Amino acid sequence: MIDRRAIEAFVYHEARLIDEMDYTGWFALWDRDGVYHVPIGGDALGAQRRQVSIINDDYLRLEQRVDRLKTGSVLAMAGQRGTMRRIVSNIEILDETSAGEVEIGSNFILGVARTAEQQLWIGRTLHRLRLAGESIRIARKTVLLINSAHETPLLQFLI
Amino acid sequence: MSVSTLETAGGSDLFTAEARINGRVYRDAELFQRELERIWYRVWVYVGHESEVPTPGDFVRRQIGLQPVIMVRGQDGKVRVFYNRCRHRGNLLCLANKGHTAQFVCPYHGWTYANSGALLEPTFDEGYDYHLKREQFALTPVARQDSYRGLVFASVADDGQSLQQHLGAITEFLDLFMDLSPEGEIALDAGVQKVSYRGNWKYMPENSMEGDYHGPFIHRVAFDLYARRTGFDMSSLSTDEIPDVIRSLPGGHMVEDYRGAPFSPGKREPSPARIEYIEKMKARHGAEKARRMLTTLAPLLYVFPNLLYVITHIRVVQPVRVDLTNSYYYPVMLKGVPDEINDARLADHEFMFGAAGFVSPDDLEIMERNQVGMQARGHDWLFIGRGLHREHDMPDGGRGGMTRDETHLRGFWRHYVSLMRAER
Repeated sequence: MIDRRAIEAFVYHEARLIDEMDYTGWFALWDRDGVYHVPIGGDALGAQRRQVSIINDDYLRLEQRVDRLKTGSVLAMAGQRGTMRRIVSNIEILDETSAGEVEIGSNFILGVARTAEQQLWIGRTLHRLRLAGESIRIARKTVLLINSAHETPLLQFLI
Repeated sequence: MSVSTLETAGGSDLFTAEARINGRVYRDAELFQRELERIWYRVWVYVGHESEVPTPGDFVRRQIGLQPVIMVRGQDGKVRVFYNRCRHRGNLLCLANKGHTAQFVCPYHGWTYANSGALLEPTFDEGYDYHLKREQFALTPVARQDSYRGLVFASVADDGQSLQQHLGAITEFLDLFMDLSPEGEIALDAGVQKVSYRGNWKYMPENSMEGDYHGPFIHRVAFDLYARRTGFDMSSLSTDEIPDVIRSLPGGHMVEDYRGAPFSPGKREPSPARIEYIEKMKARHGAEKARRMLTTLAPLLYVFPNLLYVITHIRVVQPVRVDLTNSYYYPVMLKGVPDEINDARLADHEFMFGAAGFVSPDDLEIMERNQVGMQARGHDWLFIGRGLHREHDMPDGGRGGMTRDETHLRGFWRHYVSLMRAER
């Protein structure tokens, strides 16, 4: 039986790590075959054909994304510490496999304060989590932005 | 702004022979209106690639300047560009960004057009004067339309240069990237990334074509990561300054021509797919040309005013306001190559480009800061004089400069000013 409270605590914990730009802590949540995906368009998930994404990281690319953020050289993130908070809600357990994996759905609203504007990012997250004893690891995280098919500002933070 | 000020604003004091650009060109809303009339509504503008509408009925929505158009393949197989406006009361006819349809039905009063543009049904037509002919109410095609190797261009001006004249010498460089396909055909069928930045549209061509100068300052980390991932050291392209990498062409076009600047040899063994690709390229182009094409970057190029090819993709520049611009990145897929080659192109693209890439977001952030910088008017001039003393004429009618020179930017601005000054 899945411990729903443990799952929720994990999702909230992950959200806080990325809000607080704890890149090392966040990266440690991932399993080594993890995939971090932010597709474009609502029907992109089932697409058979090769389609460009906003983010489509394998574990190596994800590590590079985190390494790049940690260098502090990302221009759009200069002075951005402490400027974002997200509310995660509507958490549902969508699927549970015998292999100890669960599919979690949740929604988020993210506010990002920037010079001269406050951005609002909204979307749905699908977490595939791998459970082993007390440990929970992210096997896959897919983020469906409601504006993914439209012109977006820069997405140089973790979503 | 008075007439005399407008004349001055369109005149040579926006760009001087000493390679100075006046800051107004990036922030003046009246100049933006003038650009629409004298540039976007005069010259050939890139609309899309035929591979985006492969079958009859396929369409995409686009813009020429601020004017909405549809590029659609008719039932007869022909690709046409129409104004996206119902002939009845002017409603936006097509809302979807892309799709497939036999007919366009205006949502306002139901007027219906074939995908070839013909009016099929004015609704309640018994109420109209019987002298009216349906043929008089077909969708309005853009004034002129032409294509080069599947790249569809349109002009809303009735007269002017032919597309061939407009493209001129840049076709040699368009050929070079399209010939990365062993079949000589590209496909824009892998979707599009859409970004927006709060800055003037002209920052995009300028910034996109001078990466060797700004790269060491804003892309160093990304280049290091790329080298670690692929074994290809992109920074090797610009370690030494090489003659004639930077090219300005007649018509305001710009090129970064890397044929004289091979990569440092890759550290990895080529994959079986890569070997197959190399063999196909040799079969098409001969061993020597294929080797030269595959051991450096295809040229980065800018076709005035809105089309760029940058490493992995076709990029479109879409002005919105004087201080707001959209840009669209279409990964270029190559026909006739093993899937792994296109997969790798797409992975490279996602690494570098789009809102969450590791390279172009730093450019977009810089462009937004440039727009803020332009509000400071104490000394209202930008300087693009690098290599001014050593640039020289090229056989194609353009000018050549060293790797980090601003020769091509000067060519862009000379052409810009000539259009802005021209009497209609």
